[in-house]
Amino acid sequence: MTTLDAKLASAGTAVRPSRRKVFVALTFLLIASAVLSLAIGPTGISLQALPRAIAVSLGYTDDLAAARDRLVLIDLRLPRTLLAAFVGAALATSGAIMQGLFRNPLADPGLVGVSSGAALAAVATIVLGQGIGAPLIAPLGIYALPIAAFGGGLIMTLLLVSIAARQGQLAVGTLLLAGLAIGALAGAISSVIVTASDDRQLRDLTLWQMGSLSGASWQKVFAIVPFAIAIALLAPRLTRGLNGLLLGEAEAMHLGIDTERIKRIAIATTAAAVGAAVAVAGIIGFVGLVVPHIMRLISGPDHRVVLPGSAILGASLVIFADIVARMALRPAELPIGIVLALVGAPVFLHLILKRGIGGSE
Amino acid sequence: MLEARNITVKRGSKVLLSEASVAIVPGRLTALIGPNGAGKSTLLRVMAGEFRPTEGSVHLDGEDIRSISAARLATRRSVVAQSINLSFPFTVLEVVMLGATVPGFGVRELEAATSARQALRAVGLSSFEARTINELSGGERQRVHIARALCQLSAAPRPSSETAALLLDEPTASLDLKHQADVLAVIKEQSKNGRAVLLVIHDLNLAAAFADDIVLMADGRIVGRGMPDDVLNEDLLSHTYGCRLRIETGIDGRRLVFPSAITDRLSKGAVAE
Amino acid sequence: MRVGTRFFALASAAFAFAVASADARAADSSGAAPRILSIGGDITEILYDLGQQDKIVAVDVTSMFPPEALKDKKSVGYMRALSAEGALSVNPTLIIASDEAGPPEVVSALKSSGVRYVDIDDKPSAEGVPNKIRHIGSVVGADDAAKTLAAKVEADFAALENDRKQIKSRKRVLFILAVQNGKATVAGAETSADAILKLAGGDNVAASLNGYKPVSDEQLTEFAPDVVVVMHRGGGDPHMAGQALTLAGLSQSPAAKTKSLIAMDGLYLLGFGPRAPLAARELMKSIYAEGANTAATTP
Repeated sequence: MTTLDAKLASAGTAVRPSRRKVFVALTFLLIASAVLSLAIGPTGISLQALPRAIAVSLGYTDDLAAARDRLVLIDLRLPRTLLAAFVGAALATSGAIMQGLFRNPLADPGLVGVSSGAALAAVATIVLGQGIGAPLIAPLGIYALPIAAFGGGLIMTLLLVSIAARQGQLAVGTLLLAGLAIGALAGAISSVIVTASDDRQLRDLTLWQMGSLSGASWQKVFAIVPFAIAIALLAPRLTRGLNGLLLGEAEAMHLGIDTERIKRIAIATTAAAVGAAVAVAGIIGFVGLVVPHIMRLISGPDHRVVLPGSAILGASLVIFADIVARMALRPAELPIGIVLALVGAPVFLHLILKRGIGGSE
Repeated sequence: MLEARNITVKRGSKVLLSEASVAIVPGRLTALIGPNGAGKSTLLRVMAGEFRPTEGSVHLDGEDIRSISAARLATRRSVVAQSINLSFPFTVLEVVMLGATVPGFGVRELEAATSARQALRAVGLSSFEARTINELSGGERQRVHIARALCQLSAAPRPSSETAALLLDEPTASLDLKHQADVLAVIKEQSKNGRAVLLVIHDLNLAAAFADDIVLMADGRIVGRGMPDDVLNEDLLSHTYGCRLRIETGIDGRRLVFPSAITDRLSKGAVAE
Repeated sequence: MRVGTRFFALASAAFAFAVASADARAADSSGAAPRILSIGGDITEILYDLGQQDKIVAVDVTSMFPPEALKDKKSVGYMRALSAEGALSVNPTLIIASDEAGPPEVVSALKSSGVRYVDIDDKPSAEGVPNKIRHIGSVVGADDAAKTLAAKVEADFAALENDRKQIKSRKRVLFILAVQNGKATVAGAETSADAILKLAGGDNVAASLNGYKPVSDEQLTEFAPDVVVVMHRGGGDPHMAGQALTLAGLSQSPAAKTKSLIAMDGLYLLGFGPRAPLAARELMKSIYAEGANTAATTP
């Protein structure tokens, strides 16, 4: 058989890799990326300093050098790694959920309005925070921006759902169109607010919209724990429902799936996950769109694999990207959104050209 | 077993169905025929539980399906829609297994795969198992979905006393002749094995060949029902379809239906009435 | 399974690297000469003027004067997008930062890192500059040099004030920060541009606005400034200068008619560092010069 024949013969056949192997490989990758993230940083402190650092935490020593090690390893790199993992997992899982909900491999978590709502709230906070909005915003201190971003995302999603809900049923088509319309509206309002900004606020905004994990802290880590738990509990309930939904809403219903419930859980999970991720790291694109694609290219479109797989792969990806973000231009930092785009886009293009989009082929 | 009582469906000012009542019974294949726009698909969807009618109700073994959960309904009936748009690269086996891995069925992966393979064998697609569904032709895809519906019925956990229904909307629409016959044979066998089958079909001859009961619809109403020989008479059909039809008896004693305009033209070479 | 093996390989490489990488930290210089991280263009300038440049190990990206600062020293990036570990990696013993440094989490991490962190009040004003100088001087132990420098600055500002009083009729001045898509962003009140304009004896026509704001052509027409001031990035940026006067809203203004456009280096003009009185004086000279016309000045 010539290679052409072989190609034709295998075209249209899908041999799925063993699920266990895929998950073991992914988990290994995640652990490795996390360890690497702990081990590498601009200060050059390596894991060899870990025992010393822990000793300081436990109060066994007061040594200044060891205290520095503890600061860097445990107060800077560790929360950063955890946050990166959360952000990656949250965005990738939400992307997979949205692609299933809208039956479109090009869907992205921003479609339900979370990102535009969060961005609008962030713009308002940054620009109006010292002017009109001061009484509301000042008391929140450094938590103002994350809380506002999360709140904005949530409000936007609720608005969207109320528009798309008819007689207790969520029309997915309406959701999509209304999401686009509201996103445009939010963007326009943002632009109006931005005209009232000064030079410094404008720069702050631009930076926020490029995403960054440099503000990572244990407080932020604790803040996202409930969301991580929520996603971990809710997402598995969606897998079979989303599989059925891919056939169409009517068909899903024929298969006994409670489509309204699935839709609501899907949107709630996405809003919570993306809202929390945007709140702690700013806008990070690309992950929600691309990671589920890669999972589908590896393991096929079954959501029972795509959802958890995306979470693990997304976490690893963002951790790796964050390592590059803080090492490439050290001691300065690159916004992580840029790293993901610069590295990820060519890789994604390569995958597409080689294997075809993991959606309609 | 599955009974629609006085179904009326209105969409705005349009009346899609008007006081339609149909009952399907285990062991019999009921064909729903009629011209386009008669409301056949709408009636099937109402009976499938897809949406609530404006008036009237559907009953499963006497119980109003409004009070039956989607999950429980899925153990008693499966549906094959007219066309399904699937833009994700599932394999054929995976699609058919969707019928078995219904939430609540509690079917394990291995059993689901076995059920799926059986169903694929029934529709003649065994060798297609690992193919990606997007690669298949329209007809092949249709058969995959039929297999899925069959798989759903066979995998559903159901006490042996309970019967199941299979509802199909134009399952032979994009199939070539060989497969039309094959698929209908499979469906007929399902009804012989005790399932209640409702088949929406526009090909009158196929309906004549396979149905135990025929329900004729036009403009949202039921205009005739009964055994094929009773319903398939020239006057009723011509009136319903709005053109001259002739019924001939074929070689094996079955009814054959022709629009007579064609045959007249062919035989006389003259302008039809 | 191709993909899995790739993942495994990548992961193993990462693991090995992580575990094996030895400590690569910079030589610890505790007790030796102080190592200063300077965040803020004006702060860096002051440090150089106080002769402290050898102690500086790293600066931020706004430290554009003197030019050696960014050439010789490491850069920790934009001062509002700092990295905590990045800043610590230059091993500073002293961080002198503008109060505009950010993000807040990084600032708080640096403050709790055990390294001495000094906040410098960066409000643009004539009193602010000598205060900054004295504050920084006391922090680095150069009080005498600071006293001298601060005194000079104060004297210069005082002389400037005197000259301001001599001005019989104040000229109406407009500061344009940027022109984008034909729309100008101007400096209203509470900006460093407004502060320097006032010190130069000008009347800020846009003082009714707050902060840097984009304005419509109509508003520009209302402003009708006598002189327009813009920035250039040392070395001359003819484009912006040229664009400013061609704005439709300014076409009828006295500035356009007399071609009164002044372009000055951004950090020099707005940084409110030790050269502030010089900048203000130059600006004043240019505004009130006889037969004022296009004057591009570089320090």
